[in-house]
Amino acid sequence: MAQEFLEILLALGFSWARMTIALLLSILFSLCVGILAGVNRVAEKIIIPILDVLQSIPILSFFPLALYIFIGIHPIIGPEAAAIFLIFTSQAWNIAFGVYEAVKLIPTNILESVRSLGLGALRRIRNLYIPAAFPRIAANIPPSWANGLYFLVACEIITIGEAEWRLFGIGTVSTGFMLAGKIPQFFISLAAVMIAVVLSNIFLFIPLMRLSERYKFEEYAAEAPRVWIERVTKSISGVIGKLLADRKIPSYASASQIISRFSSMVRKNKILASAFVVMAVAALSIYAISSINVLYYLEVVASGLGRFGLVDPLVMIGFSLSRVASAVLIGLTWVIPVSILIYERRRLEKILVPLFQVLASLPATLLMPLIVALVLEAKLSLETGAVIMVLLGTQWYLFFFISGAMRGIPREEEELCRLLKIRGLKKFRHLYFPRIFPSLIMGCLVAVGGGWNTLVIAERVVLDDFIWEVENPGIGKALSGAVMRGDVGILTAATIWMAGFIVILNRFLWRRLYQKATRLLV
Amino acid sequence: MEAVAEPTEGMRENILELRDISFSYSMRGGEKLRVFDNLSLSVSYAEFLGIAGPSGCGKSTLLRIMAGLLKPDNGGVLFRGKPLKEPTPRISMMFQSPALFPWYTVLENVMLALIHEKELTRREKEERVRVFLDIVGLMGFEAAYPAELSGGMRQRVALARALVAQPDLLLMDEPFSNLDPLTAISLRREIETLWMNQSLPPSSVVMVSHDIEELVELSDTIIVLTKRPAKIAGIVKIDMERPRSRRSREFYEYVDKVYTLLG
Repeated sequence: MAQEFLEILLALGFSWARMTIALLLSILFSLCVGILAGVNRVAEKIIIPILDVLQSIPILSFFPLALYIFIGIHPIIGPEAAAIFLIFTSQAWNIAFGVYEAVKLIPTNILESVRSLGLGALRRIRNLYIPAAFPRIAANIPPSWANGLYFLVACEIITIGEAEWRLFGIGTVSTGFMLAGKIPQFFISLAAVMIAVVLSNIFLFIPLMRLSERYKFEEYAAEAPRVWIERVTKSISGVIGKLLADRKIPSYASASQIISRFSSMVRKNKILASAFVVMAVAALSIYAISSINVLYYLEVVASGLGRFGLVDPLVMIGFSLSRVASAVLIGLTWVIPVSILIYERRRLEKILVPLFQVLASLPATLLMPLIVALVLEAKLSLETGAVIMVLLGTQWYLFFFISGAMRGIPREEEELCRLLKIRGLKKFRHLYFPRIFPSLIMGCLVAVGGGWNTLVIAERVVLDDFIWEVENPGIGKALSGAVMRGDVGILTAATIWMAGFIVILNRFLWRRLYQKATRLLV
Repeated sequence: MEAVAEPTEGMRENILELRDISFSYSMRGGEKLRVFDNLSLSVSYAEFLGIAGPSGCGKSTLLRIMAGLLKPDNGGVLFRGKPLKEPTPRISMMFQSPALFPWYTVLENVMLALIHEKELTRREKEERVRVFLDIVGLMGFEAAYPAELSGGMRQRVALARALVAQPDLLLMDEPFSNLDPLTAISLRREIETLWMNQSLPPSSVVMVSHDIEELVELSDTIIVLTKRPAKIAGIVKIDMERPRSRRSREFYEYVDKVYTLLG
């Protein structure tokens, strides 16, 4: 037992290290891409749609890419790099959107004053864009971390066709316990993950968010929830804040010096620098074309799209959509009443919200072996299991979006309802529903988006040698099957159909609904 | 007209009475913030009562207790001689912000106050809303949304909503503090006219404000509260003809009196 406990701790350490590296890369990527899109109109037109598409590509679709780019590098470093890359694909996009929005929302008076100071591009990045994006980055770290954790199980075992790479980490260790029938050890590993997430939140994420509050351009009227976690983190963030304020961080200062030296060097040798960039780009693209063989790949994709057909994908998407939709609806049926209850009984907030935060931190994928066991035990179809999986993966988005909107309801509007004795369903119709509607749409958008991604894992459960598929067609089943067979053509075709459908859904349904919903509330 | 304390024979004339009320907020860490300790006061029929006090002394809390929105920890609230257990349509309230629902038109917003008037048809309700929109000078704006109105017009909608159910008592929590001075002047005039008009609601008004001149201009009686836990520092009765001129020496003497009590 003691040995297994040590194993859990070690595995947690390995997984956390992978996630941290991936997170740092995500932040770096987001700063580059987000600031560029926020500042430059042309770049915005290119980057934002690409991010939109990337966001809707399920993580399994990145497997072949991970294989071709990383695995060949080195037998040990390669798979590690591939796993980190895959975790990166589950963490990066929302941070990038956050940076982009933060840069776009910098008040014009500040932009004007910066322009009048005549700051150069690099100085503007250092002194304006990065600090302005800081709050959004800090706020996006916890959801990104949760997302990374969700796909950790998938990322630590990379299987394509015959080839398989298994990495030591909490995902593999925990699943291993369940498959070996070591139930207590399995639950201990789950508890360890929860504790590790809570500790990361208390000692890192929440202090970062507190610290970032001073970088916000305006005070937000909405009161933050007062929960016990905050009391602890306030003191910690106070200490960290003092450390940061008292001492200049040497690494930051020297790094910025290097950047400014580099920038002046570039400015002096414009021709040389641009020649260097052109050469680098050319070299990279030649390397890419020669190694991946673009033409051959295009052929494979075309044949894949052809084999996939037109009717089958639509049927699959239809089935998958109904699974996602029923999970989101089930989620809403508990989320809305509970959010209202928490809003009306403030005391419940102090108990339930931290509890939900901890529960939400437990990734549903780690629970997957348990769910499969329960579904088998109860002799239910895996259809039910798939919906439960999607529900577990999406319900917290709904809860945090909707309860956040409830918290923002002006106190006077609620008092007015009490004065006029507007209660029960009438209160829901006249006050709660209109107030939460935009967040409801936003929450559904995010939940459905996350739901699709979950579906790929839920429609075809793979636990070591144990494989179980939903009875009816599903786009996720097709995707996962293609990865297993190493059929890159079908994999790409399914990805294109799925991502395309999600993008269309976002553009033509959710965005429009959201715009309509917010127009009324201005 | 005894605005204070001890319930005496004259209590029949009081529309609202607070008897020995205590109230405290619980703070983080279990501390209690005492707002009132055994505070008593009353509002008579047909009275315009002003309440002044240092900021943070609990003026708004007091108003919310009068409305039945908050329950005192101890002591009782009597409305027309009976204990007030919950908000009633007979008491209406205007907030510092208009608190209009942005997703409803002016007409729909005001009509919300008639939601429990089951015996009225929709048309009758609309009729009544129109009457009150006319009174506050908003005829023709029924179909507008709050976002399309100026701050003063929004506060007028809130006034119409507060009056349409024909309450006996109107409570106002700094109703003019978010308005520009000119709009505030005309709205103050209107509220005074409405209150003086016997045939129109409300009978009595309680107004909380930090603007002493505004209180002297409108009130029959001003109750000045002390710092937390609030006690009555003094009562100033204002005996001046209406409409009151802010330029008269008498007016300034009253203002000074209130400031002296505020310390």
